[in-house]
Amino acid sequence: MTLRAGGPMRSLQARLLLTVLGLVAVVWLVAVVATWYDTRHELSELLDAHLAQTASLLATQASDELEDSALARAPTLHKYQPRVAFQVWHEGRLMVRSAEAPDEPLSGRRSAGLADGEVGGHFWRVFTTQGREADVLIHVAELQSARRDILWASLRSVIWPSLLALPLLALGIWWAVRDAVRPLRELGQGVAARRPQAFDPLPTQGVAPEVLPLVVALNGLFERMAVQLASERRFTADAAHELRTPIAAIRMQAQVAQGATSDAERTDALAATLQGCDRATRLVEQLLQLARLEAEVGGDAAADSGLEGETDLADKARRLLAELAPLARTRRQSLTLEAPDAVPVAMSAPLAAVLLRNLVDNALRYSPDGARVKVRLTAAHGVTLTVEDSGPGLPAEALDRLGERFFRVLGTGQPGSGLGWSIVRRVSRLYGLSVAVGRSEVLGGLRVQVRWPEAPV
Amino acid sequence: MRILLAEDDELLGSGLKAGLAQHGFQVDWVRDGVAAERELLTGAYQAAVLDLGLPRQDGLDSLKAVRARQIGTPVLVLTARDAIPSRVAGLDAGADDYLVKPVDLLELAARLRALVRRAHGQPQARLEAGGITLDPAARQVWLNGEPVELSGREYDLLHVFMLNAGRVLTRDQLEQHLYKWGNEVSSNAIEVHVYHLRRKLRPEVVETVRGVGYLLPREARP
Repeated sequence: MTLRAGGPMRSLQARLLLTVLGLVAVVWLVAVVATWYDTRHELSELLDAHLAQTASLLATQASDELEDSALARAPTLHKYQPRVAFQVWHEGRLMVRSAEAPDEPLSGRRSAGLADGEVGGHFWRVFTTQGREADVLIHVAELQSARRDILWASLRSVIWPSLLALPLLALGIWWAVRDAVRPLRELGQGVAARRPQAFDPLPTQGVAPEVLPLVVALNGLFERMAVQLASERRFTADAAHELRTPIAAIRMQAQVAQGATSDAERTDALAATLQGCDRATRLVEQLLQLARLEAEVGGDAAADSGLEGETDLADKARRLLAELAPLARTRRQSLTLEAPDAVPVAMSAPLAAVLLRNLVDNALRYSPDGARVKVRLTAAHGVTLTVEDSGPGLPAEALDRLGERFFRVLGTGQPGSGLGWSIVRRVSRLYGLSVAVGRSEVLGGLRVQVRWPEAPV
Repeated sequence: MRILLAEDDELLGSGLKAGLAQHGFQVDWVRDGVAAERELLTGAYQAAVLDLGLPRQDGLDSLKAVRARQIGTPVLVLTARDAIPSRVAGLDAGADDYLVKPVDLLELAARLRALVRRAHGQPQARLEAGGITLDPAARQVWLNGEPVELSGREYDLLHVFMLNAGRVLTRDQLEQHLYKWGNEVSSNAIEVHVYHLRRKLRPEVVETVRGVGYLLPREARP
């Protein structure tokens, strides 16, 4: 088992990196935009105030100096002065302007206030005011580009550090995440390096709290797998052991047939060989049934298709008894069924058959010749299946051990592996059936009663 | 050769009994551990084939009980328990051989012959005494190199004498070694067989020890 790092899901590291960097970039952009608007607003207010101030200053002065009718040009006193300009108009005539100011009006506005406009290929921000006399119009202007330069200059100091910081931040996050997921990587390597048979738990000491649940879960899984593997090994060993005797019998009888000196001896030995084959077949069938049941119990296949279904138990029982009746007759055993026409139960048909067959087969097999076996189905308060026989019954200590795999009641004189009971137990557990074994009051032998839980109405 | 078979499986037991009979063994068959112990304690058997998973008492316990009573009958354990610890436990409990099922009839018979031979201190597969050679595997007998035809009973009797060459055997002991249960033994059966052996081999092959029994000398008298 390996922890998958790739696949359709991006690595944790990449995801964290992208998320954090993306968030930082968004926050940073928002900050830049906010700064832009804020700065521009404050800058505009300040500079507009300066324009207004200058305009009002000019307005107070202009009235005194307008008698000079020639166009006056104010000298340039500072290298940044070209960015600002002013004009004083009197009755539509340009009376005074700064050196950089164009000759046409900076603004078409005739009343006091602010305006933006393009004059002489430049974009200006213009404040217009009237002098003390209404015929005097004063424009004070500033290049828009100058304002933008200031804005940019102030923003640059915000943007540059951020742009430089982003790659550094990425590197830092990459390293930090890499360091943070190292326990996971090491855990993955540790699990990958395991031999499939190794089920010793992973160490839980010194494991990061975030990784601990995973380690604990893995240890739990290892433990369950170890138990399952041990159970499978035991099952295989038991099965091999149980098959040895029938196979030994088949081989021995075949060799007896080979070395037989009379026809009668050969016929007997061959008949016994076939009998041995039948027995081995039955044993193998039971082993397979049990293995299948164990697989279903072991896996979480309870919801899988194999177990679902509805079966008419009465119909199954009739078919089974019809099948077993000839065999019972050879031993002069009477086999009877008492059942309503239909007894539906929520159970898969093959497993219902397995349950019925093992119960009835056991009753016939371990009852003497001439015995009576009674199968009864009732559906009054929940479905009940009762199998009774007139055989010898079982001592109390044997009752306790029934259902242990390969446990056999000794001295029955019948070949068997004790698997039938294990199978009955398994099926019952799968469907939550209760199995009661006791003495039959009617027939005197063994009585087995299987109860289905009452269906919720 | 009379051997005890302890096996609870009907089919395997009947096969073993019939198969071993084909190889000249007289087989008494018991089906549980208590009976196996009881029969082994009689000491009447040349060897025993013992299953371990027996009803009423485990074969291993029967074996230990028998060995504790100083019964040296060779015991071959024949079982489905194939694990090394089981083999070790079986041999340590006093088994002389340990075979895991399924087993080949020929091999089982050969191992039983070997066990019997060794139990009588005979290193060779063929028994030799007094000019007589007996091959237990082939069930053949030679007198001074010449093959001799013997009936089954005569062969069995000679086999017992050869295994116990130089020892006096009582008539009871001989009967115990020769006849399995249920065989009617007429009172003079041994005398009749001894008579035939003397006739077919030579008169002094078996000596009568008056009032005690019979003896096959190691060396033929000159």
